[in-house]
Amino acid sequence: MNHVDPSLIKGLAIGLGAIGPAIGVGLIGSAAVGAIGRNPEMQGRILSTAFVMAGLVDAVLAFVLLIVFTTS
Amino acid sequence: MLMPFFGLETEPLSAQHLFNIGPLDVTNAMFFSVVTAAFTVIFLLIVARLSQMFPKSRLAYAIELVVDFVWGAALGAFGDKRLALKFLPFLGTLFLFILVGNLTGSGLLPGVGTIKSGDNILLRPFTTDLNATLSMAILTISLVQFYSIRTLGFKKYAQHFFAPPIYNPMNLFIGINEVFGELLKIVTLSMRLFGVIYAGEVLISAVAQIAGNFGWLAAVPTVLLEIFFSVIQAYVFMMLSATYLAIRMGEQEHGDHEEESKTAKAEVARA
Repeated sequence: MNHVDPSLIKGLAIGLGAIGPAIGVGLIGSAAVGAIGRNPEMQGRILSTAFVMAGLVDAVLAFVLLIVFTTS
Repeated sequence: MLMPFFGLETEPLSAQHLFNIGPLDVTNAMFFSVVTAAFTVIFLLIVARLSQMFPKSRLAYAIELVVDFVWGAALGAFGDKRLALKFLPFLGTLFLFILVGNLTGSGLLPGVGTIKSGDNILLRPFTTDLNATLSMAILTISLVQFYSIRTLGFKKYAQHFFAPPIYNPMNLFIGINEVFGELLKIVTLSMRLFGVIYAGEVLISAVAQIAGNFGWLAAVPTVLLEIFFSVIQAYVFMMLSATYLAIRMGEQEHGDHEEESKTAKAEVARA
């Protein structure tokens, strides 16, 4: 354990950083499906809001990828 | 100039210098952004000539659908036809420009990122450069401040940040936090777009290089994912701009409107 491979750290960073956004996207998806189930006539607006929220959450993973890609 | 990533070679973070126009350094992202903008403007001018009351050309119909989509989003954010119509050109420009820039970056156009001039890449999608997204975010937030000063007046605008008894330490603290949050909006707006698009492009090249001989096949799902993200990020940028504008523009008219809506709701409840 004197020398740690940088690739291992990068892989771990991507994996650990993906946990939060994954949970977030899952929550958004479940909430959207539940909302559509309750009132299906609002499907369009609910889906567009859900996509915006998914885009906001995905940005967190993008920051992780950005940091991993930009450090050598 | 290429960066190592898992022993792979990917695009560098900063845009590279191509040539000079007088004292101005022109980078590859700037060059390609001008090309993209010219293409978008000319394309939309052609479509605008084709557009009719009952469009016969399918191209005009498709672009009208996009404009209608932006109009619906603006109307949903502002909740007021006059305001939405006022900001529709700005929002439509943002959406279409970012969308075209993102789609060129998602591996759809052959030659983008692969043609070289000397050591440097000749064509680099402009949303993969932090300068481009930062300039768009600064423009948007400045516009928000400008219109909120114009509609509210400077005194009310300052009172939005610092509530009237300014010597109250709590109000001062909240005010400083609000100003900081305003600056942070610029950072989050720009970093979100830049991060997603740049990381996506690097991801495509990384996946293609990991797959070796089958890179052309392995990149296909990633490219599809990137196209999805391109559209979503363009929509998110436009929607957030609209929301920031709407929050500020709505404050002034809140007084009457809330009363009206309250009475209307009460009437509905009674009926």
